[in-house]
Amino acid sequence: MTESTRSTTELREPSREASREAVISVRDLKVRYGERTVLDGVSLDIYRGETMVILGGSGSGKTTLLRHMEGLERPAEGSVTVKGVDLATASRATLTALRRSMGVSFQSAAMFNSMTVGDNVALPLLEHSALAESTIQVMVRIKLQQVGLTHVEDLYPTQLSGGMRKRASLARALALDPEILFFDEPSAGLDPVIAAGLDDLILRLKSAYPITIVVVTHELSSAFLIADRMCMINEGRILAVGTVDEIRGNPDPRVQQFIRREANEASEASSSYIMGV
Amino acid sequence: MTLLESVGRFSIRQAEYIGRLAIQFWYCLRFSVRASPFKGRGLRWKRTLRQMGDIGVRSLPVLCLVSGATGMIMALQAGAELRRFGAMEAIVTMVGTTMTRELGPLMAAIVVIGRSGSAISAEVATMAVTEELDALRAMALDPIDFVLVPKYLAMLVMLPCLTVMSVFSGILAGGVFAYFTLDLTLLAYLSRTAEILLMRDIVSGLVKAVIFGSIIVHVSCLEGFTVSGGPVGVGHSTTSAVVKSIFLVVLADLLCTTFFYFFWR
Repeated sequence: MTESTRSTTELREPSREASREAVISVRDLKVRYGERTVLDGVSLDIYRGETMVILGGSGSGKTTLLRHMEGLERPAEGSVTVKGVDLATASRATLTALRRSMGVSFQSAAMFNSMTVGDNVALPLLEHSALAESTIQVMVRIKLQQVGLTHVEDLYPTQLSGGMRKRASLARALALDPEILFFDEPSAGLDPVIAAGLDDLILRLKSAYPITIVVVTHELSSAFLIADRMCMINEGRILAVGTVDEIRGNPDPRVQQFIRREANEASEASSSYIMGV
Repeated sequence: MTLLESVGRFSIRQAEYIGRLAIQFWYCLRFSVRASPFKGRGLRWKRTLRQMGDIGVRSLPVLCLVSGATGMIMALQAGAELRRFGAMEAIVTMVGTTMTRELGPLMAAIVVIGRSGSAISAEVATMAVTEELDALRAMALDPIDFVLVPKYLAMLVMLPCLTVMSVFSGILAGGVFAYFTLDLTLLAYLSRTAEILLMRDIVSGLVKAVIFGSIIVHVSCLEGFTVSGGPVGVGHSTTSAVVKSIFLVVLADLLCTTFFYFFWR
């Protein structure tokens, strides 16, 4: 565990955090792709029922961290435990069972383009439940209504706008009533109005269901709105973990630079070069 | 890098590739039982039927043309030589046995590689690039089970069927040649072909079709599953799937022919 991580996760309010159940535990996770270190000893606890927003710049390692929590990547060094299951050693069957309690909304929506929206949302129910097909059709309509979509069951994903595709993807993620919901860059590529609509949707989900939500984003306004706690990650290391106010008041200059959206020296130098100064 | 290092790295890469194919094949066999029409809701069975249409029915017209042309070319080339020895009637044997044992399955495989193998690879690679395969895993569905198995089962059924059609087209084209050069009616030509063909010829052709079909699906899907580099990678994986499939099919053909030559005379 890094110094900065220890200062934020262990020293801050130990009694409050000790009394809560960590549904996801990441311990000393190290990920390398060839010579490049993407995650360097990351440790993080995510508690049941909270909304954790993982913040960080492009290439900081936040999506890699999310993929390890989702079980899409197996940890080579360190450990990731979800609902008590160590993902590094879990069998294929255990991992499959665990994934039924998770929902994932992907950055690109990841809808199956060869299937209608209705079939996309019905797929997890058809595969993992014993419900009658007529009941599944009703549930599909309910799930789509929950995310604000109506009369789109028979359309193909390519016939939807970017925001509608993300909502449909969320409806599919909610199909099995997951305990943990992961969002990868929910507002990426969307205009501010539609992005705000998605934030609203996440807030409504939070209040309606006892669900643990993990969101990866670099959109500050969205992050501050939906988060119970936030984790700031930079160059594969956790800089700070805490509530929204704690992150706002964090003295680390890199955290403050990100929050204030200040350019770094390298980009200032390149803009000087472009301006011919 | 020394020559020895280059050879070593190349060998390790090839061994790794064969290993991946073997693991994928093993999981595919394990999941194949789930595609039974009598299990669950029969979702995989329905997907298999759809794949049968894509792989089989739509490949049929072009395959019949290619195999018919091949049969005709073979008859013309053989006729040019056999005429000098007054052994024109050997064309019936030559076209019949060569199409059944060798060229029928090979032509069917090559047409399917070009038409369906490339499409399979592009489809799977696009699914990988657009995170659809990750979405399947996140929904507790194995991409091998959901994507590969229906294609594999469809290919196991359809490539032998296409091979039969390929053989028939080639023989029929040879019959047209015989009609004009040997004064042999089509019916007489076909009945003579049926007389000279042995069960061994037919079985060896169908066994080859099953092996070729397995190679095509597994190579195409593996190239798709392991794609990297976004949309450019999709193009590379498609090209790679076609090249590797053709190479491995020809290699498998050589091994099968050698086996049948020595062990089933």
